[in-house]
Amino acid sequence: MEDKTLKATGRDLSGRYEQLYAMLLDAIPSSVLLIDQNMCIVSANRNFLEKGRRTLANTIGYRLEEVFPTVILDQMDITKRIHQVIEKNQPAKGERMTYRAPGVPIRIYYYSILPFTWQGQVEGAVLLMDDVTEQVRLSEEVRQVERHLASIVESASDLVLSTDKKGRILTWNAAAERLSGYLAEEAREHHFTDFCTDEDRKDIRNIFSRIDTRKHAQMKECPLRTAKGTSIPVSWVFSPMKDSSNQTLGIVAVGRDLTEQRKLEMELHQSQKFAALGVMAGGIAHEIRNPLTICSSSAQFLMEEDGTPEFRLECVEKIHKGIQRTSAIIENLLKYSHPSTTTRTTLVNLASLIRETMTLVTYHAKILKIEMISSFPKEPVMVQGVATLLQQVFMNLFLNAINAMPDGGRLGIDVKTDRSEVRVQVTDTGCGISPREIGKIFDPFYTTSIVGQGTGLGLSLCYSIVKQHRGTIEAESVEGRGSVFTVTLPARFSGGEP
Amino acid sequence: MNEKQAPILVVDDEPEMCWIMENIIRRTGFTCRTATSASEAISLTKSNQFGMAFLDAKLPDIDGLDLARKLRKTNAHLPIVIVSGYFYQDDPTIEGVLREGLIAAFVGKPFDHDEIVSVITRHARR
Repeated sequence: MEDKTLKATGRDLSGRYEQLYAMLLDAIPSSVLLIDQNMCIVSANRNFLEKGRRTLANTIGYRLEEVFPTVILDQMDITKRIHQVIEKNQPAKGERMTYRAPGVPIRIYYYSILPFTWQGQVEGAVLLMDDVTEQVRLSEEVRQVERHLASIVESASDLVLSTDKKGRILTWNAAAERLSGYLAEEAREHHFTDFCTDEDRKDIRNIFSRIDTRKHAQMKECPLRTAKGTSIPVSWVFSPMKDSSNQTLGIVAVGRDLTEQRKLEMELHQSQKFAALGVMAGGIAHEIRNPLTICSSSAQFLMEEDGTPEFRLECVEKIHKGIQRTSAIIENLLKYSHPSTTTRTTLVNLASLIRETMTLVTYHAKILKIEMISSFPKEPVMVQGVATLLQQVFMNLFLNAINAMPDGGRLGIDVKTDRSEVRVQVTDTGCGISPREIGKIFDPFYTTSIVGQGTGLGLSLCYSIVKQHRGTIEAESVEGRGSVFTVTLPARFSGGEP
Repeated sequence: MNEKQAPILVVDDEPEMCWIMENIIRRTGFTCRTATSASEAISLTKSNQFGMAFLDAKLPDIDGLDLARKLRKTNAHLPIVIVSGYFYQDDPTIEGVLREGLIAAFVGKPFDHDEIVSVITRHARR
């Protein structure tokens, strides 16, 4: 009884295992064929039948070449490989195979051949085929995306670089090669700061060291040193490069060449200057004609024969003084109208720059009966900047103030400084700006002037120049009472560092 | 020189200009009083009778043309001449006030002394 039970249990077990394996075979996403030594198919799983659009009836007992397209068998040498596996009792390494069954799209398989042994004898081979069409397609897509990304970076006209966390260059795109004159291989051995000017290095190091603690990308304008020894103005945006667990791996730096923009700005500044000169022309003419009249009249008196020696000497002195006066006015004008070719910053004495600018507008203010009142600190007021650009800021503010007072008034210029900053307040007693308009005054082309009398660029230029100098400009106004414009700039001491 | 002749008024904020005008006027046989502002000129006309007035167009307190209108109110027949480097000969403003009769003549700076002399000869009330 015991034996019987055991035997029955053994039979049950093997039946169960058979069913389990058959189920597994049908469930796996691979195609499995058992082939005997005569290349006839002994068994085929469901996946194979479905993929090949076959039934068991037209598969089992058929030869391999009747089931598989001959082209594939020949091309991949499958028959030969199966023979080898059976002969040597050694599995064959997997390979890729493209298979097209009638009416189904092309599939790509990864196949391997294993010997099937029964009681020490090789009876056939198992052909195992995994459909890798999807994986192949995905990896092809990944490669395509990679290629696309690479071509975006390479085709960009902006500089696109990546560095490690310490700022050592990892990648350097074609635009960076073109603009800097350094090849990617050459750049890769360097630190980002090697391409900066001495004065920017400290700032860049600061940005890099704090980049992963900042929420937003860091921006900075700093020139790029080229292989030729020149430098080009570049506006940089630095962003942390994060991995999927939000760890900072390095820094991505995107830089825009500002050369062209600088050139346009220069032209704009120059045309603004001429516009300002146009506004002041009447005052300037008046101012020059006075000393000219003195010279002309003194000369006419000298031509008379009856003048006393004292009177004649007085005339000569007046001519001399008149010429000096005229010449000083012309010199001021020339200095102002001279195009500035450089954007390089120097240490500027802001007080004397403001005084010079005041002299230029005095003529215009005088004919409009505007009193100019100024106050300057005793110590020198030094800032780092482009003198001609800063002069334009104050020229614009003075002329605006004067324009706001067509019936005369008071133009106040108050300069104050402490260790860290210089503050210049330009006050007028003019018409003021309405609360509705004050928000728009720094917008380009916004103007309340009559067509032909203002370009609407003055204050927007002031804003961009002051911003470029890391300063601020603010306006306060009471309609009908007047306005106050406050320019704040970082102070520098002639000694060097602030 | 006629002692009873009314003096000529010169208003210019530039003392050197007053010096020039004084010298030219003296050569024509007239006497001259100078003022460097409109308010000074107005107070002078209150106590003096002038045969003519030379006004600069741009004065520190009010414009020369505004001064001309004020003077005209109290002295209907005073010949007024604008001497200026601000306006020019056929300036629309100047043409307007000439037509209006507010001013008798305009002399642009710089000028030939003969021009001033001829204006005095033509317009000064003796």
